[in-house]
Amino acid sequence: MLFLRSILFFLLLSHYFFAPIFSGSTEEEEFSEELLLKPLPDRKVLAHFHFDSRAPPSTTHGRHHRIFPKAIAQLVQKFRIREMELSFTQGRWNYERWGGFDPVSSANAKPPGVELWAVFDVPSDQVDSTWKNLTHTLSGLFCASINFLESSTAYASPNWSFRPFSGVLRYGALPREAICTENLTPWLKLLPCRDKAGLSTLMDRPSIYRGFYHSQRLKVISTESGSEDRVELGILLEQTLTVVLQPGELQPSWSLSSIFGRKITGKCVLAKSSTVFIGFERNLISELNDLWKNNEKNWVAETTSGSWNNPVFQLSLSPGRVIEEVNNGHGGNSAILYEFSIENYSDYEPFDVSLTWKRPLFWSPPRAPFHVSRFLMGSGNARGSIAITLKSTELIKGFMGDNVIKDGCKVRIDVFQVVPWYVKVYSHTLQIFVDGEAQIVSEIIEKIWVSPSEDRVSPGLMEMFLRFPCNMKSAVLTIEFDKGLLHIDEYPPDANQGFDIPSAVISFPDFEASMHFLKEHSSESPLLSKFQEKNRVLSYTEILLVPLATPDFSMPYNVITFTCTVFALYFGSMLNVLRRRAGEEERFLKSQASRKVGPLPQLLSKLFGKLRGRPAKASQSLSPSSSILTPKFILKVLLVAGIAVAWHYFSE
Amino acid sequence: MAMAETSEAPGIGTDDFGISEREPHQTSESSKRKAIAEFDPNKMRSTKPGIKRLILILSVLFSFLLGLPFLLKSVEIYRAPLPFRAIDSLLNGIESNLVVLPCRFQVVFVGSDDEEFSESRAEKLELLILERMRKLTGSSPVCGSCGNNYTVSVTMESGKDCIRNRNAGNGCLRRCGEIDISAFGGDLKDDEAVDEFLDSVLRSDVDCTDSGGKLYTVVMMNRDEGSRVVVGKHRHAWILGKVEEIEVVSMITNIFVNFFMNGGKKDGSIQPEFMPVGADGRIVLSFSLLNADPHDWVYDWDFQRIDEILLAPVVEALAPISNIRVESQVLYHTPKSSFAQWDEKLASYIFTAKDLPFFVNSNEWHLDTSIAAGGRSKVLQFVVYIPSAKECPLLLRLPNGEMSMTNGFISPMWGGVIVWNSPSCLRDSESKLPAVHALSSQDLHAISEIFMGQIRQLFGLNSDNVQFAGSGISNVLPSQRGFAEWELDVLSRRHTCFNLLSCATTLGSLSRLVQSLPRMIIMDEIGKQVKYSLEAASLAQSNSSLGIYDASAMSSRQARTLAEDAFFHPSIMSISYYSFEHFFAIYTPFFLPVLLHVLLAAIKEWKRYKQERAKYLAWKANAGVES
Repeated sequence: MLFLRSILFFLLLSHYFFAPIFSGSTEEEEFSEELLLKPLPDRKVLAHFHFDSRAPPSTTHGRHHRIFPKAIAQLVQKFRIREMELSFTQGRWNYERWGGFDPVSSANAKPPGVELWAVFDVPSDQVDSTWKNLTHTLSGLFCASINFLESSTAYASPNWSFRPFSGVLRYGALPREAICTENLTPWLKLLPCRDKAGLSTLMDRPSIYRGFYHSQRLKVISTESGSEDRVELGILLEQTLTVVLQPGELQPSWSLSSIFGRKITGKCVLAKSSTVFIGFERNLISELNDLWKNNEKNWVAETTSGSWNNPVFQLSLSPGRVIEEVNNGHGGNSAILYEFSIENYSDYEPFDVSLTWKRPLFWSPPRAPFHVSRFLMGSGNARGSIAITLKSTELIKGFMGDNVIKDGCKVRIDVFQVVPWYVKVYSHTLQIFVDGEAQIVSEIIEKIWVSPSEDRVSPGLMEMFLRFPCNMKSAVLTIEFDKGLLHIDEYPPDANQGFDIPSAVISFPDFEASMHFLKEHSSESPLLSKFQEKNRVLSYTEILLVPLATPDFSMPYNVITFTCTVFALYFGSMLNVLRRRAGEEERFLKSQASRKVGPLPQLLSKLFGKLRGRPAKASQSLSPSSSILTPKFILKVLLVAGIAVAWHYFSE
Repeated sequence: MAMAETSEAPGIGTDDFGISEREPHQTSESSKRKAIAEFDPNKMRSTKPGIKRLILILSVLFSFLLGLPFLLKSVEIYRAPLPFRAIDSLLNGIESNLVVLPCRFQVVFVGSDDEEFSESRAEKLELLILERMRKLTGSSPVCGSCGNNYTVSVTMESGKDCIRNRNAGNGCLRRCGEIDISAFGGDLKDDEAVDEFLDSVLRSDVDCTDSGGKLYTVVMMNRDEGSRVVVGKHRHAWILGKVEEIEVVSMITNIFVNFFMNGGKKDGSIQPEFMPVGADGRIVLSFSLLNADPHDWVYDWDFQRIDEILLAPVVEALAPISNIRVESQVLYHTPKSSFAQWDEKLASYIFTAKDLPFFVNSNEWHLDTSIAAGGRSKVLQFVVYIPSAKECPLLLRLPNGEMSMTNGFISPMWGGVIVWNSPSCLRDSESKLPAVHALSSQDLHAISEIFMGQIRQLFGLNSDNVQFAGSGISNVLPSQRGFAEWELDVLSRRHTCFNLLSCATTLGSLSRLVQSLPRMIIMDEIGKQVKYSLEAASLAQSNSSLGIYDASAMSSRQARTLAEDAFFHPSIMSISYYSFEHFFAIYTPFFLPVLLHVLLAAIKEWKRYKQERAKYLAWKANAGVES
């Protein structure tokens, strides 16, 4: 049923909403900047910058660009990129609190570290070498260690679940890459105004890196090579920066200057449009509507003295436009965007909008159908298992009403997971539990693609299409693995920290996160038309930290030293045994025995002689030096030793 | 245990010594004669000492010593053999005498009928010219010149008759009597037309253009007209008018040496260190239009047109020297980093030559290297800087106090900057957003002309031909392609010479590096690259001595590229070579104690053997005395 509905829905929508996206082939280079600010249910604020640059196809407009960054145009041309996405992320997107079923989260929530995927327009045997060159170029361009994705153990070529390009797509992630300003600066350099003018002046480094989540993304779509008979669009570069910030300690009210510490001093003069949106999501609007119903007061409010006022909140500036989402059956409530154009603001009159709440409001974010989490089980350095849990957020019930009860209803979940080769996953140990009960794996799995890891050559890749009953509360997937042993030179400098396994991607193809607007609104704004694209809902899981057995790195030297010492000892004694003259020694001992002394001093003198490396002197009783070993002397030595022990004992 | 036993021999030795010390006391009581006859086991032995143990120990010691070379061989790291001697000889050869390509010069006198030409006069003229040229060129050759490797021939013709001097008869000169000015209908003052006419005549024998160097001609046309000296676009110049012979000779040598040989350089100009060509023989010309403050005005250019109309011929002309790519970008918010001062008199902002080092703002001008170029290409930046309204008419004052005509400057090996001022210097309006202006085609033309001059300067030529005024030259024809043929020849010669010089110095440093680090791994590939580089260098040398310009330029470039490849090979850059410290750390724990044992044992055995033998000998002597 769900499919039918969604298919019908898309057939309908695609006519209306996708037309403007693909007909956006403009003859001019264009740049536009937009900022979406959204209050989040946990009193934080989401700021989503969206910069969009377009270049017309080079076949008709040449290679020289006015606004479009030269670096990206050359990159696309040199590596024949059809599509590429690179993201630098710090912190984890909180799907529970910040939402997992809206266009921002499904397109801009990224796994921590670096994630890169690219689709090339080259013959399949050249894809790997192109990818390697691309990683090196990007690491130079963005001052990051993306070149670590060059080794074949670091990237995978997903077949169908990640994106619908098989064979020419490569995917790689570096979970441990640290993100900082040195990555942001080259990213800003791609904007015509950098952070000198326009919305990007808000990017005060301390403010944005203080946030809870920081994701800087770059997406390139090109039809330059044009092997398909699509419309020639040229190159489209989409740069987004998504940050989640805390406005104040307790106050949920905020203004631009309070969260960024800066104000907008006019637009970037090269931008076609420069817009700030303040977005209220559906659940917040439904709360507001409930309030209105109770209070009999219209919250969609009145403009008083330049500000936008209603009983619940106040906007310090009156929005240029109020854009309402076209209702598409989400319980009758639709999201609202307040649009502010910053065309007319300048240094003397900076733009600084604020949102003040007049009464506390609680709402729940739009959650993904399942809450996803991944963790490790087992202990020790030999084996363990990975578990992925899916917890229903009751969204499906709301979505489908009574259909859930029926048995036939199934929901599809795609799992895409790349594990490094030293985590040797055993596919046959895959177990699936639904609501705590073990299931027959083949009944749940619709389609599975496993490309096993090869030691030091390629990572393990697992793609699964799973079907679960709609009324399922929770599901667990477990899979066991053995930990591999690395060569001593394969360990990173901080080997004891453990090894990171990149995030798995769990997507819900039955659900599409998109917002729909009237054509007159969306055609002007790349951000809104981006929101209209059908993004499948997906969640990235946590990164796993696998501790591997770490060797003692000084071991080779220890082994060398110990074995060599043993060998040297053995060799020395062998040599001495060979040289030994048994007869002579016996004669010598006899001659000693003839001069008898007391048994104890003789023994001692023998021992002492041995220790000193020379045989006890036969003439000791005659020579004056023999007085060393008299009982008197031994007594003295014992006395001194006793004093030393006592002193040591008492001094402690 | 071990120590005790090894020290057995000295023990006995001291024992013996002690006894022998005591002996006088003992024997003093008895008679001495009896003592000699008595057999003392501590002093004598009746049997020969055995050498079993000595042989054993010595064999162990010698096997160790014999094994040492094998050990060293087995732990040896791989070093491809490099031809150090060949590198040194190349370096010495090139540094002591630079590679110069030969040139041939030809003087053609086209006289009127009444003038008398004779062989002796031609010879006299040739000697005069040669003498003057020797004086002008000096003894030390410079890169790009022909050194002392040139010939001069003099031809005199009037009508169909012509006289040549002796050494001109190598069959490669053009036939006589073809320069017939009377056949030329146009005005002799029309330089372009004369140039084309002479070119069509002189180019007629194509078959021997390239052997023994390029042929340069000066045509002396003795006419009763105003004196005129013109250097053409191709490989010739002409002198018009009635001129004294001495003056003619000085004029001709001036043209030969200063133009055809040295590329029109005047004395005192700095010789560039190297040509701005990347190690892979490529150049990227990166053009940037910098709008200092787009709030005031935004300018755009039609770079496509500059590229197609103005730059394409230059790129094509320079193709034998290097492979050139052109790219462009427009950047915004790029203020310069030096300050300019307001000048009331000129009503403009002035920046002086001493501000130039700070003009290029490396923080804000994100000109960037090119992604497309890659490798070791040379990127030359050409910047058009459009100042903001705050500093609008921005002019450059030269060190001599005059204002710069081009309003631009170059930085050798980096590129050039032009300051282009907005015509009105007034902001469009305060509040409105600025409209995008396009640079007009006249402005584009002017800018690209300055660019052309800057490119020529970066290549070590004169920026334009205006500078020749006063040196007796009436006109130097500019080429449509930016470079005249004789200039390209100079560049080609210089390129070959610099390439070989750079190749030799790179290989020299490589060989020094390799020799200074005896435990550095050297891959086979490096050895191969060095070998090929040397081969290419010697090929270039032999080609250049033959005067084949293109082939020697190509192989010299190849030699340099290979040398740089070898020097910058990743395996050399890595520091993971196997050090001596490492070697010792691994082998001492075993070899030090074992060798100590063996050596000590050998010494002791040897001592003992000597001692025992002495005992034996003593006994023998005793026995001999007794008997």
